[in-house]
Amino acid sequence: MAQSSSTSPAVQPSGAQLTTTRTTVEFRAALIAMAVVALIPLGVSNPYWLGVLVVSMYFAILAGSWNLLAGYTGQFSLAPATFAMIGAYTTGLLNHYFGTPPLLGIVAAIVVAGLIGLLLGRAVMRLVGPYLALTTLSFAEIMRLVTANSIDITRGDLGLSVAGLMDSRVGWYYLFLGALVLLLLMFYLLLRSKAGLFLQAIRDDEVAARRAGVNVVFWKTAAFAISAAACGFAGALYAHFAELVTPELGLIGQTGLIVSMTVIGGMGTLAGPLVAAFLVYVMSEWLRDVGGYQLVVFAALVVIFARFFREGLWGLAKAAVQRGRQA
Amino acid sequence: MTLLSVRGVSKRYGGLTAVDQVSFNVEAGELVGLIGPNGSGKTTLLNILSGLAVPDSGEILLDGAPCQGLTPERLAQRGVMRMFQLTRVFRRMNVVDNLLVAGRALGLGADEALLRADALISELRLDVIRHLDAGQLSGGQMKLLEFGVCFMVPPRIALLDEPFAAVHPTMKEIMGDFIRARHEKGQTFILVSHDMPVVVELCQRAICMNAGGVIIDAATREVLNDPRVIEAYLGGHAV
Repeated sequence: MAQSSSTSPAVQPSGAQLTTTRTTVEFRAALIAMAVVALIPLGVSNPYWLGVLVVSMYFAILAGSWNLLAGYTGQFSLAPATFAMIGAYTTGLLNHYFGTPPLLGIVAAIVVAGLIGLLLGRAVMRLVGPYLALTTLSFAEIMRLVTANSIDITRGDLGLSVAGLMDSRVGWYYLFLGALVLLLLMFYLLLRSKAGLFLQAIRDDEVAARRAGVNVVFWKTAAFAISAAACGFAGALYAHFAELVTPELGLIGQTGLIVSMTVIGGMGTLAGPLVAAFLVYVMSEWLRDVGGYQLVVFAALVVIFARFFREGLWGLAKAAVQRGRQA
Repeated sequence: MTLLSVRGVSKRYGGLTAVDQVSFNVEAGELVGLIGPNGSGKTTLLNILSGLAVPDSGEILLDGAPCQGLTPERLAQRGVMRMFQLTRVFRRMNVVDNLLVAGRALGLGADEALLRADALISELRLDVIRHLDAGQLSGGQMKLLEFGVCFMVPPRIALLDEPFAAVHPTMKEIMGDFIRARHEKGQTFILVSHDMPVVVELCQRAICMNAGGVIIDAATREVLNDPRVIEAYLGGHAV
């Protein structure tokens, strides 16, 4: 019946092992990249560039979180920056009005962003593609405008000053790096679990996933909530780093950067968006002198990668390694 | 023992009655052929039975309990598994993971799911492509994979919509052997097919639909010789 094979199912690598291997390879690559990032302060002491790298890590967390939702689950939300803004304002308002300690504020930010993500996830449950994108874009703009116009509470565009955690740039650098590695580990464990299987199944074919018995409503909502909570975490950390929260955190341009980083790095890959976050943000700093043209450059890159390199930089790196092995 | 009871089920889309007062029973362990010309309502009926469409009227009982209107995932949990006419697999996941999704979603532990996936891969002769993403498979291999997904956890009833369409004869044989072997062990099937020799060989009983309604429900030979069936297929009278 079965094909005779020199490698019986008992001894050949199982599919689960293969999937695990694929995710594990990406995880290890991301860890190596993070190890390189950890060494940078040994050679770079300029506070400006350390600040740039801290913000890169902020975006790396956002790109990784959005990638979980869009890359692994197929839900193309345009609100990751909004959830970062929600997290930032949660801890900012608590700190500003009630003197809540930053650590407690950060926990509250995770919970609030996660709950709003859960509600939004339920609201957009039946929407796909452009309808989902436009609805989440509307949500993002409404949240930003409400925040900007609630001057009595948020001080609007003047911004809300927030207590810092420490003065050391290097300290912030490693705090963000620790947060990034922690989230990377959490996403890795999630993707290796049955949840990872279900999320990817939903991305590929929602009807087939339902047929297979996957509770699509639960897992789509869970992905939305987890992604939002992670964005809220990043936003809250950033609020205490910058010591100022403004509605600009939720600008659509910020979401554009997050999408660019993920597409350029490789949607649905663990390592790509994280590495691309550094490349894109550092490049955006270099291109700052040319003003708004930086967005043109990233938009062009996104078009090129989406059209010709669907697996992004991760796919290119993988192909280069394979070519190297064959040579 | 009656496993599935369909009572007066109708489904309309605007002015079109896709399923019209359909009633029949399926006994546990039966392998029932569901035939009829294109547009006769077979797939709509399977959509209703698998939770992808809600009937406008009528009742469906599974093990004596009403199940019309349940979601596909709830029905899958209750043992109703569906194979689609247009193949649906997880194209960016490998063959094993495609199977594991169903196994894990239906309550198997990781190790048990992997064992069953291995066994199915072997039985369906998918060994050499087990590590390929489903999107890289041929149409026939995808069909076999989707077929396997339906049996990761033996269902109470398997609804197979055109499993043999556009499939290489070897793969058709594999699926046929699989269905025969499972049926001997008591597995219940509803098999939609235009491949009459296969229906004759596998199904002792057949239901023929036309214009949304059941025109005959009898032994397969009797159904295929019925003038109404021949007329439905050929649009003319039996000679």
